[in-house]
Amino acid sequence: MYAESARLPSARPTIRATLPIAAVVLWLGALAASAMPWLNQLQPAALVAAFWTFDPDQYSSVLAHYSWAPRVSIAVLIGCGLGLAGAVTQQILGNPLASPTTLGVEAGGQFGVTVATLFAPGLLAFNPDLAALAGGLLAIGLVIALTWRLGFSPVTVILAGLVITFFLGAMNMAFLLLKGEWLGNLFIWGAGSLVQNNWGPFMDLWPRVLVLAMLMLALIRPLQLLQLGQASASSLGAKVALVRMLALLLVVVMSTTVVSRVGVVAFIGLAAPVLARLLGARTLGSRLLWSTLLGGGLLLLADTLAHWASTWGDGSLVPTGTTTALIGGPVILLALQGFRDTHRMPGQESGPARFPPQRRSPVLIGGALVTLLLATIVISMGWSPGLEGWNWTLISQWHEAWVWRGPRLLAAMLAGVALGLAGTLIQRMTGNPMGSPEMLGISGGAALVMVVIVVSGLEVGRVGQLGAATLGAAAALGLLILLARKHRFAGNQLLLGGLALYVFMDAGLRLVMASGGPVAAPLLNWMYGSTWLISEHEAFGLMAFVLLICGLLGLVVRPLTLLPLGDTSASSLGLPVARARLLLLLVAAVLTASATVVIGPLSFAGLIAPHLARVLGQQTVGRQMIVAGLVGGLLLAVADYLSRIVVFPAQLPAGLLAALVGGVYFLWGLSRHGRA
Amino acid sequence: MALLLSLAPMLAGAATWQHEYGTVSLDEPPARVVTLNWAATEALLLLGVTPIGMADRDGYSVWVKEPELPEGVHNIGTRVAPSLEAIAELKPDLIVTSAEMAPAAELLERIAPTYVISVYREGSRPREKSREMLVTLGQMLGREDRADAVIADIEETLAIQRQRLETADLSDRPVALVNFLDDRHVRIYAPNGLYQTVLDGLGLSNAWPRKGNFWGFSVVGLEALAPYGNSRIVVISPLPPGLADTLAISPFWTYLPPVKQQQIYPVDTTWPFGGLFQIKRLAVQLTDSLLAGGHDNVR
Repeated sequence: MYAESARLPSARPTIRATLPIAAVVLWLGALAASAMPWLNQLQPAALVAAFWTFDPDQYSSVLAHYSWAPRVSIAVLIGCGLGLAGAVTQQILGNPLASPTTLGVEAGGQFGVTVATLFAPGLLAFNPDLAALAGGLLAIGLVIALTWRLGFSPVTVILAGLVITFFLGAMNMAFLLLKGEWLGNLFIWGAGSLVQNNWGPFMDLWPRVLVLAMLMLALIRPLQLLQLGQASASSLGAKVALVRMLALLLVVVMSTTVVSRVGVVAFIGLAAPVLARLLGARTLGSRLLWSTLLGGGLLLLADTLAHWASTWGDGSLVPTGTTTALIGGPVILLALQGFRDTHRMPGQESGPARFPPQRRSPVLIGGALVTLLLATIVISMGWSPGLEGWNWTLISQWHEAWVWRGPRLLAAMLAGVALGLAGTLIQRMTGNPMGSPEMLGISGGAALVMVVIVVSGLEVGRVGQLGAATLGAAAALGLLILLARKHRFAGNQLLLGGLALYVFMDAGLRLVMASGGPVAAPLLNWMYGSTWLISEHEAFGLMAFVLLICGLLGLVVRPLTLLPLGDTSASSLGLPVARARLLLLLVAAVLTASATVVIGPLSFAGLIAPHLARVLGQQTVGRQMIVAGLVGGLLLAVADYLSRIVVFPAQLPAGLLAALVGGVYFLWGLSRHGRA
Repeated sequence: MALLLSLAPMLAGAATWQHEYGTVSLDEPPARVVTLNWAATEALLLLGVTPIGMADRDGYSVWVKEPELPEGVHNIGTRVAPSLEAIAELKPDLIVTSAEMAPAAELLERIAPTYVISVYREGSRPREKSREMLVTLGQMLGREDRADAVIADIEETLAIQRQRLETADLSDRPVALVNFLDDRHVRIYAPNGLYQTVLDGLGLSNAWPRKGNFWGFSVVGLEALAPYGNSRIVVISPLPPGLADTLAISPFWTYLPPVKQQQIYPVDTTWPFGGLFQIKRLAVQLTDSLLAGGHDNVR
């Protein structure tokens, strides 16, 4: 129906000339910037000649031929490949924010290689692409499974991609944290570095990229038909589903082939098509062409910037993944301008998530959850491993065990409650079952500040950490409010704005990861929730705070019930829509921030708890909130207990375990209960 | 009289030391010590005291190797997130840790007196700090003599190795100390790290001029070595599998001046984030390797 409404305003014939100009400027600028450091060592002609020959007597010529020229070539090659892959993805899914990065394909490839490095190094030696490809297929398969029943609404697909990225990222981190000293190379590789010292990787890669690109181009005509919508395309003879699957497979192969060789170079596949469209590429053919060209230029520019940044300061490597993420963030924000979620996949019936309509008694469900929670508390306090083996702590000795087990359990539980409540608020507010406080970017803001602290080498105590995290969350919130005001605090813009914040956090994280184990490990531990650091005062402080907010929540039940009815109905029922949204956003943000300092930014509690509450038959706002709070508390209480015992005496961060446990449930639960 | 006054606290048995986050008071030399990083473990072992528990016990014998760790030490978790409960279970009477554990300082102090000393932190000088750690632990454990002997031994070792290099006329050419992370990236040891003090002690100069992070290294692409053609490249084990073969077919590497001039020297694993003993270990191995002559590839 509104096949073009998600695109940028299309009737702008005057700027058509800007596309070639922009592409030429980008390419020339990037090439010049890349060549500049070399010009004082080599003649320009010799530098150009470096692409095919070198002078063995002059080391700078050898260096240009074997380090600079392959690096430039591989950047252009990968950039073009990813740009094309991104444009094809957007066409297949009819989604202006789809790309190999946002669909989780790159994270999947990374996960595949990490697993292979640890458990099947022989496979990597045999063929590095297979592991990455398997991971990428796994990721996109999960995204499709997650969104199958929800309709492929653009925002839902992107959020599902993000969930998968986090989930696979969490598994990656678990390995890195437990085996850090041994996996130094994976830290760098994960950060994405295009450093070359041989033509081998390029020679290896170009035929593959070329063949894949040809295959994608062969799909142009069927893809063009897709634009007409499923019904008309079928009548014109294109087997729609087959074409889509084939094209998607090609995208996955292309991205994972790149990932397996140079690591995760994120966001180029998103930025290039978005830019092409912004600059006025309208037909499919022109979008594919210009996305490819802009992708090559963009990655060359990003890589040159990374290379320059590496030579400033102490000479430490700045991975290309950092600069591409820094470019990706603003591009997502740009793409959000004029983005409306009215656009569906052509021909695909898209409805909101349908939950089983049955209701269950809140007392029964609540009672069961409280019982489980109490059982968790008793087991967590009582049954623990020691250096001499497992033992029961009698209740009379709990006061001794309290200091080691109590505050962290209490804090984890409260964080879970807070996230469950915040998640319900956000899902109700946005009407999107994939919405969650983690994705609002508020926890991302808190994490970003921590990353900055680690990068700058500042030393902060516990209080400083808490303060900094809160500040970061508040700043992210401020940004979101600014961004959202334009859209009258509409939900999807908020969720996608949060995505942009994560991208910036990702940039910083890659920088830290590239410096390797000793620098990255403390940060990763915090990021995934180090409940072991919680003291009694902090736990009790959090308790008072969460109880206070719970008291206030009674006030927001009415707006939460009315908002999903749509702006018009809500305001005709007397609700000041924008102000109500601001209030809800504030409450959700404060809850998220307080939970983030305990459990880190990446647990899934806020995503899963509200969902599970509905599956358990709690449909009204008040009941859903109460049950979601209990579920969240239970999830994180269990995660905290597991984090203490699974690899005793070592610990895994509790947020990581919550993400693993919760992620598995989520994948299973949503595909099962999301059915109409 | 003054002498008597100064003796008074000793007679009472309690002694107090300043550290980075406060003071430690000990009534008698502690017998059950827990160490939360490998530099501290190493210092304790040098003093002839076996810790009752330590962080990342199993990694120690792979990455630090010397001084050797006796059997029977309890593992209390990882260096970044030790299990407080496991530490408490050991009932230690002294915990040695660094500022990295600052967020947990208050909790650790509840278990036992905690001595916080960071050999590696922003602005610290690793050699002076690790020396201070050894001396202070020597005082706490009543083993000042042992600490002095270890320090004297290390000074002497450095002097001997320096003499060996000077006799062989091998002191001039700058040295780049690297760990290969994969076939494209190395960790290079910077002038602000512990390894620099080895080079200083041996009378060698560091080819890499830039300050690294506070651990004393920078991660750089291999091409960053190119400008330092006049250097000797010392490659510290372990190597990524298959590295030698990959490099052998890379013209970038084979044309690298130090490679062409057979100036690649292998050195066995040492722990770059350790204490004084690592200075001795690297000094001896580096001298042996330089005297044995260079190669045209890593090995």
